[in-house]
Amino acid sequence: MLTKLTRWSRLKSPWILHLNTGACNACDIEVVAALTPRFDVERFGILLKATPRHADVIICTGPATRQMKDRLIRIYEQTPEPKFVIAVGACAMSGCVYRGAYNVIGGIDQVIPVDVYIPGCPVRPDAVIDGVVKLLNKL
Amino acid sequence: MRFQIPIGPQHPALKEPIGLRITVEGEIIRDADIRLGYNHRGIEKLAEQKTWIQNIYLTERICGICSHSHTTCYVQGVEKLMELQPPKRGLYIRTLVAELERVHSHLLWLGVAGHEAGFDSFFMYTWRDREIVMDILERISGNRVHYGINTIGGVRRDLDELQVKYILDSLEILRKRSEYYKNLGTTEPSFVARLAGVGYLSKEDAIALCAVGPTLRASGVPMDVRKDDPYAVYDEVPFEVCTADTCDVLGRAVVRIKELFQSYNIIEYLLKNLPAGEIAVKAPRRAKPNEVVSRYEAPRGENIHYIKSNGTDKPERLKVRAPTLANYAATIKMLKNGFIADVPLIFAAIDPCICCAERAVAIVDARTGQEKVVPMNILKQISQKISANKERKREAEWPL
Amino acid sequence: MNDQALIDKANESLKDKVLAITNPAPRRIFLKVAVENLLEAVNWLKKDLGFTHLSTISGVDLGQSFEILYHFANNYCSFTIRTEIPRDNPQLPSICELIPGAILYERELQDMFGITIQNIPDPRPLLLPDDWPVGNYPLRKDWKYERPPEVIPGGKK
Ligand code: SF4
Repeated sequence: MLTKLTRWSRLKSPWILHLNTGACNACDIEVVAALTPRFDVERFGILLKATPRHADVIICTGPATRQMKDRLIRIYEQTPEPKFVIAVGACAMSGCVYRGAYNVIGGIDQVIPVDVYIPGCPVRPDAVIDGVVKLLNKL
Repeated sequence: MRFQIPIGPQHPALKEPIGLRITVEGEIIRDADIRLGYNHRGIEKLAEQKTWIQNIYLTERICGICSHSHTTCYVQGVEKLMELQPPKRGLYIRTLVAELERVHSHLLWLGVAGHEAGFDSFFMYTWRDREIVMDILERISGNRVHYGINTIGGVRRDLDELQVKYILDSLEILRKRSEYYKNLGTTEPSFVARLAGVGYLSKEDAIALCAVGPTLRASGVPMDVRKDDPYAVYDEVPFEVCTADTCDVLGRAVVRIKELFQSYNIIEYLLKNLPAGEIAVKAPRRAKPNEVVSRYEAPRGENIHYIKSNGTDKPERLKVRAPTLANYAATIKMLKNGFIADVPLIFAAIDPCICCAERAVAIVDARTGQEKVVPMNILKQISQKISANKERKREAEWPL
Repeated sequence: MNDQALIDKANESLKDKVLAITNPAPRRIFLKVAVENLLEAVNWLKKDLGFTHLSTISGVDLGQSFEILYHFANNYCSFTIRTEIPRDNPQLPSICELIPGAILYERELQDMFGITIQNIPDPRPLLLPDDWPVGNYPLRKDWKYERPPEVIPGGKK
């Protein structure tokens, strides 16, 4: 019964943590723009949470930088199970233009496992919503 | 008793990764250290391995909010190196996009400031209005954030009649909505009281610490690269430099609201006087060995690129200094002797763009080195003085 | 104020300390001085001409030496003071006494080129990421970066 309830609430209202791992900010503002009146993801029950301990889904933007790597792993470990990671933007997928820079490891998937990739540089807010919905369908 | 509080890199109050280490006594901040490096990617090194054209797209991705400012600054420099003169129409369109970007960036900042001050409906209002600007930019360039409109020798996309009309129409809506922000002070006294007196930065400090942009102008220094060192077509366009003299977060908000209206006027002027003709000239692949300093007034302040060429199709050195970095030293000054609860507000007030600042800097530890150790009783006096100041500021007037 | 007047003033006050002064474009002046005279030149620029705003400090690796450029600005033009220091003994005086806002840029120089700044108010060593190997200065020309091979999660299909 309880598992059913949690499963239902997870599907109906995923809580999201937004984490910038070295992005150029464009992807971040687009993720935030998805929260504001034009796109308004809150009507789907998607809430932005401030700490990893409350979150179900981590939205990562940007390539993983060397300095951020350990923090990224720590934040991933702090998130309660089951957890999902969405890589937003070309950077988070592969490194985008920063591929080959000395402080960039590459995509997020070099550090933590990723469930959904959203392409685009920057992604559009509608693409973010679409990606989250795809993830929910996967559950 | 002193405590150290680490804030970040992932923290609810900060949208981007940055580490702040704050030493407090009671509620009062004694010292602050900024720890960067979480967002450092090494763009300056990378730029040396890419060609002139490729670097346009790399500099665009230094920062997402002021992407046009970095490309324009870079492209202007390269045009000087290659001795090109871009056509008038191209320059007009370039300036137009720059001003649109300023509008969207300032709206974004106002929203963030409202959010940090606990005024969330204001955040939603400004971000709703920002979508209008994003739509215009999408119409012009085909993308919402990275416009990719600059190229060496001009711009890549032209404007047609319909677009001009569309922009002018949208501008009317924006003007009307912005009236609300202008009258904000009279309708929302609690918001004004929250901002007034927070993050004080005197005129002398602002100059000594080399602050730039609205942070500097809010301390009463009328410095604006668009006026001082006109680039593109700013020498033909009438506009005013906006300043405020309250030296606090309120002043920074006022400067930005005033600049919004200036930008609307500039955009209107540009569209009404758009010259006909070509939009770009063809650029050579190589640049002769030379060097150039290119300056640009980004929404956050002065942006400077130093470019050195060596005769090949790649730059020898590309040095980028983004406005946020210049403002860090001032931020530390503002944080000191403030209250913990003001940290997000003060920090947001410089409109930090961490990815800009970190294209090459690693750890920046901003300490002016002038601070003395203050004994406890003097500290108390200082804090009382501060709170006494606060009382007076509570009756702050909305200057618009 | 115009470019020529500034150049004349520089020649007048600094006399033979001026190694070279150029004016490649309007509103852009490049003045070259020796390292020993750097502080004097900065002081002169600040006190006599009122250039209080330091835009940034750039470093360039010239092979045998490093070139350091101090970009100043006032509300008329951009004035650059350049100096050169040998690569095998990279020492530079700190200008934080005169321009407190210079600290960030000096630390950046220390970090990226391995230049020692004398009398820097906060001499704690700067590092790139926490695990950055000592003695690597990424913006030196002879420093090359090898990208480690990437793994494709789930293997190649
Ligand atoms: S994918 Fe593009 S827009 Fe997004 S963070 Fe990377 S460079 Fe910026």
